[in-house]
Amino acid sequence: MNVPDLKALQRGDGDAWEEAWRWLWPAAFGVAQMKLQPFLPGDVEDVAIEALEELVDKVRAVKAVEELKPLVASIAHHRAVSRLREHFAAKRGAGKTASLDALQNDPERPWEPASDELALASLEQMELAALLREAQAELKPEQRAILGDFFLHGLSYEQIAAKHGVAVGTVGVYLKRGLDAMRRLGARHPKLLKELEAFLR
Amino acid sequence: MNDQSFFDLAMKVIARQSTDAERADLESLVAAQPELKAEWERLQADTRLAKEVLPLTAAAESTAGEFPAYARGRLQTKVRQTLGRPETERKPAAANWWKWVLALATPVALVALLLVPMFSRPGTPVIQVAMLDSAGAIRGADTNETLLLQQQWPETTMQNFEKPGDLDAWEQNWPAGNKPAVKVIYDRAAGEIRVLGRWEGKPLQKTFLVERDLASALRQAEAFIREQGKH
Repeated sequence: MNVPDLKALQRGDGDAWEEAWRWLWPAAFGVAQMKLQPFLPGDVEDVAIEALEELVDKVRAVKAVEELKPLVASIAHHRAVSRLREHFAAKRGAGKTASLDALQNDPERPWEPASDELALASLEQMELAALLREAQAELKPEQRAILGDFFLHGLSYEQIAAKHGVAVGTVGVYLKRGLDAMRRLGARHPKLLKELEAFLR
Repeated sequence: MNDQSFFDLAMKVIARQSTDAERADLESLVAAQPELKAEWERLQADTRLAKEVLPLTAAAESTAGEFPAYARGRLQTKVRQTLGRPETERKPAAANWWKWVLALATPVALVALLLVPMFSRPGTPVIQVAMLDSAGAIRGADTNETLLLQQQWPETTMQNFEKPGDLDAWEQNWPAGNKPAVKVIYDRAAGEIRVLGRWEGKPLQKTFLVERDLASALRQAEAFIREQGKH
């Protein structure tokens, strides 16, 4: 799959857009699926298409073609979070949106997400896209794999060491460097930092 | 306890992999040393950020999945409405003529373009008709639609395109001189008929949605074109 020509996209070249949609679809769909699959699986494809549509509005502000995937991912993320908020507000029957934070770990609402997605939702789309690019640059693939195994898949140091063929002590070093990178990311985005600090209170 | 040991202990507690004794150790360390308390809080925030950023980064880098063809029309319409038509690259005619020959020789290019004056009185427009079928022709339905277009403008031979870029080039190619000219484009995937042109120095543009059936939309488009001649 070819990387599309940004200038042609900005000119409105239909063929370039056809290529871009094929290239961007996995990112838009992947993010929408990650957020919506457990609660609104029927909305996944709609949100991905809407994200591609919104990208057309923003393409002239893009400086490099590498920005497109993080941008479409951030658009899909925000649209998915909005849908979830609307969905749960409607489900409560109040007809109003509510902070997903308030829904966190509420035993009376087992069908609502235990939300871990709130800090990023506070960022504007462009800022979130920038943060994703920074994360991709800051974290090496092996770091990301080990962080993912520990924080997302719940593996222990020993299990990760066995999986990746490294010493148990090395796992901790990787995790520490990975979280240091996260701290740097947070520091570059004051709004995000504020959100994270609020979480600690 | 050094930094790495404290970090490893904190990670175990955060991941709920610690024993009661390890958790108690951490609590006593944090209670006794304010700088470790601050670090413990920062690690929790870093962890929270990692849990949000990591899956999003992975999803954004996904390469699996195929763009659904049904979305193409809607998105192409959005591109046209938002970004307009791309400017035609000005190339010497000699460099382009062979493309036309190839396009005409290709089996998918169904019909050649003809320019036919639609009305007999002077000042009436040249009508050009084209169909864009970017999803690929569905035989049968496609033939019927071609027939409807030809019936609506029988003196004009229709041009068929599969690539939006080819249509864009055709749309930029107007008859020489100041004679009124109108292009009628049926975009099959978008379900719309676009009429664009120039009439007595004024630009002309309108889109008709194919809501009920193509024949009705075509009649509306033709009525719109005729209406321009009365002004």
